[in-house]
Amino acid sequence: MHAICARSLVMRYKYGAQLALNDFNLDVQQGEFFGLLGPNGAGKTTAISILTGLFPSDSGAALIMDMDFQKKSNKIKQIIGLVPQNIGLYDKLTARENLTFFGKICGIRGKVLAEKIQQCLEFSRLTEHAIQPVATFSTGMKRRLNLAVGLLNDPQILVLDEPCVGIDAQSRHLIHEQLKILNQHGTTILYTTHYMEEAQELCSRIGIIDNGQLVKEGIPATLLQQSGMSNLEELFLHLTGKGLRDQ
Amino acid sequence: MLKIIAATAKELLLLMRDRTGLLVLFLMPAILVVVITLVQENVMELTGQKKTQVLLLDLDQGELGRSLQKQIETTNLEFVVWDEVQKDGGAIQTAVANGDYQVGIVIPQGASLRFQEETARLFQPGNGKRDSREIPDALSATSLQFFVDPGVMAGLRSSVTAQLQMALTTIALEAKLAMFGRVLQEITGPGVSQQDPLFNSSKLPSLFRQPLLALTENQDKSRETETSLYNPVQQNVPAWALFGMFFTAIPIAGSILQERGSGIWVRLSALPVSPLVLFAGKIAAYIGVCLCQFLLIALIGAFLFPYIGLPAFTISMNLTATLITALFSSLAACGFGIFLGMACNSYEQASTLGATSVVAAAAIGGVMVPVYAMPPVMQRLSIISPLNWGLTAFHDLLLRGYSLSAILDDLGRLFLFFIVTALLSWKLAGVRQ
Repeated sequence: MHAICARSLVMRYKYGAQLALNDFNLDVQQGEFFGLLGPNGAGKTTAISILTGLFPSDSGAALIMDMDFQKKSNKIKQIIGLVPQNIGLYDKLTARENLTFFGKICGIRGKVLAEKIQQCLEFSRLTEHAIQPVATFSTGMKRRLNLAVGLLNDPQILVLDEPCVGIDAQSRHLIHEQLKILNQHGTTILYTTHYMEEAQELCSRIGIIDNGQLVKEGIPATLLQQSGMSNLEELFLHLTGKGLRDQ
Repeated sequence: MLKIIAATAKELLLLMRDRTGLLVLFLMPAILVVVITLVQENVMELTGQKKTQVLLLDLDQGELGRSLQKQIETTNLEFVVWDEVQKDGGAIQTAVANGDYQVGIVIPQGASLRFQEETARLFQPGNGKRDSREIPDALSATSLQFFVDPGVMAGLRSSVTAQLQMALTTIALEAKLAMFGRVLQEITGPGVSQQDPLFNSSKLPSLFRQPLLALTENQDKSRETETSLYNPVQQNVPAWALFGMFFTAIPIAGSILQERGSGIWVRLSALPVSPLVLFAGKIAAYIGVCLCQFLLIALIGAFLFPYIGLPAFTISMNLTATLITALFSSLAACGFGIFLGMACNSYEQASTLGATSVVAAAAIGGVMVPVYAMPPVMQRLSIISPLNWGLTAFHDLLLRGYSLSAILDDLGRLFLFFIVTALLSWKLAGVRQ
């Protein structure tokens, strides 16, 4: 069974004829750590938004664990965890209050919620800062908590949109290590990033998206071997070009 | 339901953490209601709904001044009497011209005597014959000096002039009747006059004062409670409480825009929760804020106002109906806030549009100036303002003494406004994703 399956997704920008996704196809197997790479405006966030049910595509199908968003949106949302690129936390609430609110919104209650919150705080190494308002956190702490909130509902599929932007090496290292552990425990991960070395380190498979289409996918080592390139960045620039993406 | 409670608890926590914002939400309408009511208390004076003070300088110190003061007791005027030793006509003119007083009147020295002489001349015997009298060609009126501040509204000027003129006419009429009675006594002889009150000079004026035609105001018998008389407190307390309640639309919109601007809205959209649940949480929290605002303003009206020289605000017997009206008004205000948060793209847009629309809706809704005092076009326009629906309902309860059943149409409009704005917001939530 595919954990994530996108079939011929087409998405047009609201104004203009340009396509955000143009016949986008993707298969992510259960338990995979899949990296979705692409330049700015390539369609990564649009693809993730459709695959997490934020909005429907103009055409095509997005299936999660063989379930269609059109039919089983609520059930799918219960098994997916999304870690948005912009930090999705209330600044004026403490780490614990944020976790409590999002946990309750996920439908978790009582003792289970208390245990889950404790796990998330330990996971993000924020136990000592649990009663501090998020506004007082460093970017690294916010990113770690942002990730922890995405894990509250024990998701089978975790979708991360550039979760390590703007953080120090220590926080990035912790996030990487924790994601590896989650993946080893069976969580399917769809990960978008601009950092090629990050993708090479973490992902069992990668896909490169450009102009709304998946232009290449496979195991990083195999792709490098096939292309004769020495690293992913070289391959990435070869596939997507060196022209600036200022649109 | 548990998700709504979680969303409400989160909103309340956020509100409590933003103490400055919360303080503004309560202070703003509280300050407005005190300031505007104090200002309007003076306006009521000018529009004759409260006694107008008239400066009186009685240089005569005779019967005329005493009669005038007695007559004025039954009018909407109130004399402030100046000591004639220290003041003169010029001083009163200056005081009125400077705007210290709006109206001033001077009774010149010897006015009572001249008035009595002129009255007596009306019935003066002619040519020494006892029953032959001459009607004089003209009588010379005893003139009182009257000053009005040029800045006074025409309505107040007419009202004061008419009341003073009426008092003087009554004094003159009574003097003439008294004189007429004496003349009749002289003509008919003491035998007749002692028996018949018509010929009694002291009883005649009071007899003529008895009204033969009267204007009787009818009260609506369907009203449950005793009607409260209009005063700026009964007008302003609900009006500015409503204004404050609708102003919460801006922080509601701000909280939504903050969620939309960060990753919170994206995260919530990916969770198994409907936007309606999240809206319900916000609405529940902010309804609490709105009701607290209303209670605060009502308490200020009831307990603080008497200490600053204003009448106390009274809800009388319609407490439940008043609270229901406050609840429906809060719903409408929250619905508008959520719509604003979903329709606007930035906090700047929402705060500008929100503030402008609430002030405009308050103005056309009768919060600042009663609807009946507006031009006909604005009166017709006022029916589109939710603040007008709320204010009309409050006035029906607090001023006209109607029951809850009489304001169901206004409550229905407020509820419909809430439903429409909530549904539009839900629709927009889908579009915004």
